[in-house]
Amino acid sequence: NTSSSMQPQQIQKRFAGKNVYTIEEVEKRVMITLQLFDKIDPEKLTKDSHFIKDLGLDSLDQVEIIMAMEDDFDFEIPDDDAERLMTPALIIEYICDKEDTYE
Amino acid sequence: MASHRKIIQLYRNLLREGKKFKSYNYREYAVRRTRDAFKEHKNEQDPKKIASLLKSAEENLDIVRRQVLIGEMYGDGRLIIESTIKHAT
Repeated sequence: NTSSSMQPQQIQKRFAGKNVYTIEEVEKRVMITLQLFDKIDPEKLTKDSHFIKDLGLDSLDQVEIIMAMEDDFDFEIPDDDAERLMTPALIIEYICDKEDTYE
Repeated sequence: MASHRKIIQLYRNLLREGKKFKSYNYREYAVRRTRDAFKEHKNEQDPKKIASLLKSAEENLDIVRRQVLIGEMYGDGRLIIESTIKHAT
């Protein structure tokens, strides 16, 4: 399997279209964005922590998290979908579904 | 809560539109004010009060949309902190 052994640096960037990510890259970017979010305690953050139940945020903060993801990955998440994205893992899965990603 | 969705939607829209202000000061103010106003009333229980807050949020959303447009039409220059440095020749 050649694609999985490929290093991120070796991935050819496409400038004419949207960026293509690997799942790992998406994961990294999502987690970094979340760690930088001022109301999240980076120590407590794991991929499966629930924003409201585990991290003590409210639904307004969750809206801001989703908007930060939209800014970061440069596409819009409709309200219906945004509502469901309550853990980092769900966000990563969602972005991988919507964007061009490969393993 | 039937209006929960609507509140979230308004919050999203206000932040989104607020971020479109070209002018740094207006943009930062709009975003900050939206956050503060929603957080301030996040424990509000009285349905009448909630309805009136929702109404004012909607009105403010209209104002923001209008002002963003006007700002685009009659924008003044960038602030000194936003401008790129020009080297004297």
